[in-house]
Amino acid sequence: MFACIYIPDFPVQASLLPEPAETRTALTHSPIAILDGPANLPRVFAANLAARRAGIQTGMTKLQAGLCAGAVLRNRSFAEEESAQSTLLDCASKFSPRVESTAPGVAILDLSGTKKLFARQKDSQRGTSRENSPQNEAWPRALRTITAAAAEAGFEVRIAIAANPDTAFLVARGFSANTIIPAGEEAQHLASLPIETLPLPPEMLETLNRWGIRKFQSLAALPTVALVERLGQEGLYIQKLARGAIARPLLTIEPNPDFAASFEFDDPVETLESIFFILSRLLQDLCSHLLATAQAAGELRLTIGLNVRQLQTTKRRDAAYRISPQIGQDSKDAPEGEQSEHVWKLPVPTQDKNLLFSLVRLHLEQTSFSAPIRSLRLEVVPVKPRRAQGNLFAPPAPEPEKLEITLERIRGVVGTTDSEGNDCVGAPLLLDTHRPGAFTLQRFSIVQDAYSPAHRNLSPSKNIPASTISSVRLCVPCGPSFRRELNQNSAKSTLSFSNSSPSPQSTPVIALRIFRPALETTVELDGSKPHFVRLWSCPRRVLAASGPWSSSGNWWNTAAWTREEWDVALQTPAGPGFYRIYRDRLRRQWFIEGVFD
Amino acid sequence: MRAARLKAQIEQTLPAAFTVYQRQESGSLPTGIPQIDNAVCGVPLHSLTEICGSNLASSGKTSILASLLAQATREHFCALVDACDNFDPASGQAAGISLPRLLWVRCGKSRGPQNGRFCRSGVESRVKLPPLEQAFKVADILLQSGGFTLIAVDLSGIPERVVRRVPLSSWFRFSRVIERQPAALVFLTQEPHATSCASLVLRVSTAVHGWGDCPALFSGNLLTQWNLNVEIVRGREKKPARSERTGFSLPTQWA
Repeated sequence: MFACIYIPDFPVQASLLPEPAETRTALTHSPIAILDGPANLPRVFAANLAARRAGIQTGMTKLQAGLCAGAVLRNRSFAEEESAQSTLLDCASKFSPRVESTAPGVAILDLSGTKKLFARQKDSQRGTSRENSPQNEAWPRALRTITAAAAEAGFEVRIAIAANPDTAFLVARGFSANTIIPAGEEAQHLASLPIETLPLPPEMLETLNRWGIRKFQSLAALPTVALVERLGQEGLYIQKLARGAIARPLLTIEPNPDFAASFEFDDPVETLESIFFILSRLLQDLCSHLLATAQAAGELRLTIGLNVRQLQTTKRRDAAYRISPQIGQDSKDAPEGEQSEHVWKLPVPTQDKNLLFSLVRLHLEQTSFSAPIRSLRLEVVPVKPRRAQGNLFAPPAPEPEKLEITLERIRGVVGTTDSEGNDCVGAPLLLDTHRPGAFTLQRFSIVQDAYSPAHRNLSPSKNIPASTISSVRLCVPCGPSFRRELNQNSAKSTLSFSNSSPSPQSTPVIALRIFRPALETTVELDGSKPHFVRLWSCPRRVLAASGPWSSSGNWWNTAAWTREEWDVALQTPAGPGFYRIYRDRLRRQWFIEGVFD
Repeated sequence: MRAARLKAQIEQTLPAAFTVYQRQESGSLPTGIPQIDNAVCGVPLHSLTEICGSNLASSGKTSILASLLAQATREHFCALVDACDNFDPASGQAAGISLPRLLWVRCGKSRGPQNGRFCRSGVESRVKLPPLEQAFKVADILLQSGGFTLIAVDLSGIPERVVRRVPLSSWFRFSRVIERQPAALVFLTQEPHATSCASLVLRVSTAVHGWGDCPALFSGNLLTQWNLNVEIVRGREKKPARSERTGFSLPTQWA
């Protein structure tokens, strides 16, 4: 058996689909007409029942349709229709793996082998055994279940179940209610349908009208040989359709590998609320698609098209954001092609629309753009959903999904990067260099910890750029870092390795508080040793000094550095303070790097 | 009977009117410094702790925090809210902190408001918060999020007069929120501010015997260690009638 899901007035319903459920319900009973055609003379392309009752007909001009009181006129959007068709196919795919996209607003699914599925669904709800339920009740249940799923997706549909796909399509299109045609009774049920229901070319429809044939019954009763003599093979085909006697295989759709959704605004928007609403809808579609294909989002990409042409006179550009010209676009269209790209790499694959939307919303709330937004495109990189259970012996940690939201909220408070380009939020990672204070922040993630117990045994080369590794080989090992490494035991000799595990017998040591940036100062020398150091505008006597420790590096490029380091004990009103000072030999300037605290 | 009826009537309106408030059974996180762990049994969970020390002189508060983080990151995930961006990752790793398990939030370092004009909800340009407010907001977010066993907020780089203006209600709110979570909230400040909201207050200073003395130990040309004093201003069980002191010494990374 085959089921046909038919969406009446598909362009109208597709235009209503992005609206919230309440608005959609309110608009359903209003006269709505969809306009299509040249911009200077658009005509009514489709209208709903309320509009037809109000007198709006297909082919009317916009001016004529506008005369109808309360009529809502909308431009046809192919993107919305494609999105609606995709949603319809996703909905149909929930019930059968064999689905045909027959026409816009029409999907036919093969119900072979699904009788038990529908019977089991209802039986489990009622708590009765499957064996006691009559098998012939499965198709009415299928009708109800599919109708409910379509309503949940936002469609008002008509469904027909028949023994062949074309009969199901004609019945769904011709009758105003859900219908089940038992096998062998196709001709009897189709008899009352008007021949306009058939997909006929206008010439053939005119011919049949001239013959006085108005119903399927009349067409089916014509002698076959005489009909073929007059109308050819097409005549035979439509007669078989009218008899419900055509059996053909379904042209099933291939799983769509493109997990993307886009939206183009009629007029560029300047406020977040408008794009949040659309993004929510697009994410809903993508997550439905992911669910239908049993996949999850591993990465989310948002491409925002900016209407820079509008601002060409003002020449305002936002250089702070990653606005790059569209790849492969014509230079003529370059001003229209400015876009802003945002990527979220998710630590754990997810199908949760709310999580994805929160990530996007929190990020965009911190973002501003140089021009109004004209289009949105969301793309998901599908991966297999996470199936493994977390490690029972892993340390207690925030939920991975919740952690991403938390980090995004924190970035909203403290910012994303500092003036040097380092992240403001993350896990610290020491760079493999002798340059003092060299660090970066990597993405803070608990997934490695929770699901791979051996994460601590990562080799240092995995996370360290090759350039910094080469700098180690060439750096002069004469600085304080070298001094420290010499004095450390073998367990601590991996000081510069980022993922080394803490020594179980780690003993407390004196920590250094760094001043970022280092404080400029002046130092009075007694011979070669510091005697007085100016600390926050006050000269402080040096009680003891340890040094000098010389170090240098990167002499082969512009980032060269060379310094002479001292650890000094300064006399302050609050007591002795141990500071690290150094002299930058290139700049010939003294700095206070930090305080031992 | 009349009293029971009256009690029932009150409980109908205010269900928690006669509920006896019970504190959570609290564990603790060891600091890794035996003298402190012996004296106060580590930093209590479900509680707010303050570690105080001078910002001008070396007090040892950061070293205690580093040692605490080193112990905590062995088995837990921790967060460090750094109000003035003073944390040194190299020192942290030398102290034994597992850096991949530490969420480091650097406050007051962002580039400020962007120049874009469009798609801002609300005000045209975002006002950059001062570091203290950023630190408090981030601590609040982390507490709401949960999952971090130790949340350390380093406010010692912020001028004392600014931290003093923080209303007591803020400290009280933090102490009530942390009570419900299996986590420790540690503030690093120059002076104690949370008063009774803190379960443990430690004041750290350098052990000096006389003016001009240097409490550090130099071995040849190397600074190797110095001596510290820890004063327990407020303990976990009850406030001591007289604060207790304990002394210890910390070595340098290379000693």
